[in-house]
Amino acid sequence: MSRPLTAASAATAVTTAAVVALLLAWPFITDFYSYNAQYYDGLVASAAIAAVLTISLNLAMGYGGMLSMAHTGLQLLGGYGTAFVAVKAGLPWPVGLGLAVVLSAVLSALLLLVSLRATYLYFGMITLAANLIVIEIGREWDDVTGGINGITGIDPGMAKRAFYYVVVAALIVAYLVQRNFVRSSAGRAAMAVRESPESASAMGIRPATTKLLTFSVAGGLAGLSGGLYALQLGFINPDVGLLDNGLVFFVGLFLGGIGTLAGPLLGVAFITVIVELGKDHARYTTLILGVALLVSMMVIPRGIVGTWQASRFGRPKAAPDAGGDPETSQVPASVGSGDRPPDRDVPALEGRGLVKHFGGVRALDGVDIAVQAGTVHGVIGPNGSGKSTLVSCLTRFYRADEGEVLIFGEPAPAASWAVPGAGVTRVFQVPHLFERQSVLDNVLTGIRTPYSWVSAVLRLPSCLRAEREARAFATELLAFAGLAARASFPADSLSHGQKRLLEVVRAVATRPRVLILDEPATGLVPGEIDALARLCAALRERGLAVVLIEHNVEFVMKVCDEVTVIETGRVIARGAPAQVRADPAVLAAYLGRPDLVESS
Amino acid sequence: MTLQAWIDGVFTGSIYALVALSLAIVYQPTRVMNFAQGEALILGAVVGYQVISLGKLGWVVAILATLALATLMGVLSERMIMLPVRLSGSRFAWIVATLAAALIFQSIFTLGYRDVDALRPAPMAEGGFTLAGEQVSWQIVLTVAIALAVMAGYDLLLRRSTYGRAIRAASHNPGTAVLMGIPVQRIIVLSFVVATVLSALAGLLAAPVLFIGPAAGLIFTIKGFTAAVIGGVGSPRGALAGGLIVGVLDSVVRTEINATAGNLVVFGLLALILLVYPSGLFGKPMEAH
Repeated sequence: MSRPLTAASAATAVTTAAVVALLLAWPFITDFYSYNAQYYDGLVASAAIAAVLTISLNLAMGYGGMLSMAHTGLQLLGGYGTAFVAVKAGLPWPVGLGLAVVLSAVLSALLLLVSLRATYLYFGMITLAANLIVIEIGREWDDVTGGINGITGIDPGMAKRAFYYVVVAALIVAYLVQRNFVRSSAGRAAMAVRESPESASAMGIRPATTKLLTFSVAGGLAGLSGGLYALQLGFINPDVGLLDNGLVFFVGLFLGGIGTLAGPLLGVAFITVIVELGKDHARYTTLILGVALLVSMMVIPRGIVGTWQASRFGRPKAAPDAGGDPETSQVPASVGSGDRPPDRDVPALEGRGLVKHFGGVRALDGVDIAVQAGTVHGVIGPNGSGKSTLVSCLTRFYRADEGEVLIFGEPAPAASWAVPGAGVTRVFQVPHLFERQSVLDNVLTGIRTPYSWVSAVLRLPSCLRAEREARAFATELLAFAGLAARASFPADSLSHGQKRLLEVVRAVATRPRVLILDEPATGLVPGEIDALARLCAALRERGLAVVLIEHNVEFVMKVCDEVTVIETGRVIARGAPAQVRADPAVLAAYLGRPDLVESS
Repeated sequence: MTLQAWIDGVFTGSIYALVALSLAIVYQPTRVMNFAQGEALILGAVVGYQVISLGKLGWVVAILATLALATLMGVLSERMIMLPVRLSGSRFAWIVATLAAALIFQSIFTLGYRDVDALRPAPMAEGGFTLAGEQVSWQIVLTVAIALAVMAGYDLLLRRSTYGRAIRAASHNPGTAVLMGIPVQRIIVLSFVVATVLSALAGLLAAPVLFIGPAAGLIFTIKGFTAAVIGGVGSPRGALAGGLIVGVLDSVVRTEINATAGNLVVFGLLALILLVYPSGLFGKPMEAH
C-alpha cells in the first residue's frame, strides 16, 4: 500500500518485528536461561492459544458488535473435532484442526441465522444457551466426546518444541486474518452495521450477510483455538466450555482494548504475566482477575490500546491541508460518469401513487413525484407534511402501502440495502455517521469494492489494487469537501456542519445516480450552506438527480430547478421555483389563508 | 415417583421464581441483567451453613445475619456493577461487569468453603406430612408459601404504591424520571438491596433441601434468567409462572431420564423461546439493549 511512511507506522513495524522475533526465539531463550524450558514454552504456547480465542471474541464483539457468550463452547467444539479426528479416527492432526475450524464456523453461522431477528441482549442469551447445550451434549455423548472424562491422549506426534512453532504460526495467521479482514471492505461493513444497521443499509450494506460473515469467521478462529488447545494439553473435557473459563478472555479483551487490533494480544500477555507471577497463590487467581477487570473498566474504559490511541501520543496528527480549498477544487471525475447515460425521457426516480398509513394517520396520501436526471428537485412542505416519509418510501426504508417506485423506469428493489446498488442513495435528516470510525473510513464504507473477503484476507493483488483506487477516490472526495486534513480523525470529532458535509460526501461515494438529501441545511452556518449549494450544482452538472428535502425556502429557491410542495400527504403544487412561490395553495399552506394575510 | 418429581419441581421452581424476580427488580431501573444474582443465593446458603450447622445458633440468628449481609452485598454489588457500567460507556459493560462481580463473589465463597460439597444446614421446619403416599417436608411447604407471599407483596407494591409507580417510571426512562423528581439513583441502590435480600432468603430456605455448592451461583442465575424470560421480565406473576415451568420441567425430565437431560431441556426451551419470540415471550421489555 502506498501510504506515506510516518514515524508512527515505522514504530508499529519495529514493534511487530520485535514481537515476532521474540516469539520465534523464545524456545532458545528458555533453553539457555532455564532448566525448566518446556514449562515456559508451554506457558507462551497456552497464552498464544488464548490470544487466538480473544482475537475471535474481538472480531465478534469489538468489530461486529455481537455479544457472544458461546466462545468457550465454540472452543470446546473445536477441541472435540480435533480430538475425535486425531484419537478416535486416527487421521493426521492437521485434518483435525481443519475440522475444528469448519465445525465452529458452521455452528456460529447457524446460531446467527436462527437468531437474526433477536435483539442485542437476547442474541447474547441465545449464544449462552447454545454454549450450555454444547457442554451438556459433550457430557452425555460418550461415544464421540468421551463424556465427563473427555478425550485424553491427543498427540500431535511431534516434539513439544516443534508444536510450539505450529501454535505461534496459528497466532500469526489469526492476527493477520483479523487485521486484513478489519481493513477490508468486509470489515468496514461489519463496523458500519455495528454502529447502525440502518445507516449501513443506506450505504448499500446488507446487515444480515455482514453479521453472518463476521460471526462465522470469528467462530472459525475460536474452533482453531480449541483444536490447538486439545493438541497442546493432550486432552479435552466439557469443563473447558464453562463460562467461568471464558472470563479470562473477556478480561484480556477489555484490558487490552476491545475493537483494536493489538488489544487482544496485549491483554492476554498482561494476564499471563499476572497469573504467572501469582502462581504460588493460584487459589486467588479468579478473584484477582475479577477485580482487575472491574478496575480496568473504570480506570481505562477503552483498554490499554484504546487509551493510548485517545491519548496525546497515540492520536493521529492533523495532516497539512492538502489543497482542499473548496472554492477551486473539482468534484472527482468519476462521480456521475455512470455506465448509463442520463436518459431525458425516463425520470431518474419516480414514485407513483405512494400511500403510507401509520395507524389511522395517512402520512402519504397518493403522492406522485418524478425526478429528472441532471436536475435538482426540491421537496418542501410544512412540518409533518410527509416529506421524510416520502424519502423513506422512495428508498424502501418504509414499505409503502400502495403505489410503486421506479428507478430509471425499472421497479426499485424491495429491500432498503439494495436500493443504493440500484443507484439511489439517501442522506438522513439527523446525522447517521459511523462516529467511532475515521472520516476516511466513513467515506470508504460507501465505496463498493469488487473483491471478496477471502481475497482481502489473503491480500491478493487485485484486492490491493481495488483498495488503492477506493482510497484515492475517497481522498479526492474529501479534498473536494475540504475535509482532507481530518481524514484520519474519528468522525465524532467533527463539527456539526462538517458532519453533514461528510455525510453527503459519503453518499456521493456510493456513486449514486440519484442523491436524496433530507434537510441537509438544518443547523448550518451561511458559509456551509453556500458550500452545499455549490456541491448540489456540481453534482447536477455531472448528470445526477439531486432530491432536496428542505425547510430553508430561500435555499431551495436558489438551487432547485423544480419544486414539489407537499401538505398533509398530498402534492399541492409543482413546477419551477418562481411559479410555486406564487401559487395560492402554497401560500395558504405556509402562511395561512391569503385573504387573512395583512398586505401592508 | 412422578408426584415426587412434581413436588420437587414446584419447590425448585419457587426458588427459580425468586431469582427471576430479583433479576427483574434490578433490570427494571438499570437495564442490567445481573449475572451475579445467583451469588446472593449462595450467600444465603453459606450463612445457613455457617450459623446453623457450624455455629448451632438457630434460625433467628441465621435470618438476621442473612438480612444484614445481603443488604451489605446489595450495596456492594451496586457499586461494583454500576460504577464500571457508567464509567466504561461500552455497550458490553453490563455483561462484563456482572460476570466479573459473579466470579469475585464465587471465588470468595469457594475460598471460604473449599472442601464443602453442599452447604446444607438443618431445615427450619422439621418433619413433614404424607400426601398420596409421598413425603412432603414442612421446609418445602414453608419455602413455597414464602415465595408466593413475596411475589404477591411485590406485585401489590408495584401496582398500588407511589413507590411502585416511581420504579415503573424509572424503568421506562431514567432520564425523564429524574426530571420528574424521582430519585433514580436511590431506587437503583434499593433495587440491588431488595433483589439481593430476596435471593439470599431463597438460598437460606433452599439450602436444607437442595444441594447447593459454593460455586453453584451461575447455574442458578441462568435458571432464574430462563424463568424470567419465559414469564416476561418485569412482572412478578410472570416470574412465578416462569419459575414453576422451569422447575417442574427440569425436575420431571431429571427424574424420568437424567440430570443432563434436565439441563438440556431447560436450555433448549430457552433457546427455542428466544428464537420464536426474538424479544421475549411478553412484549418487548428489552428493546433498550
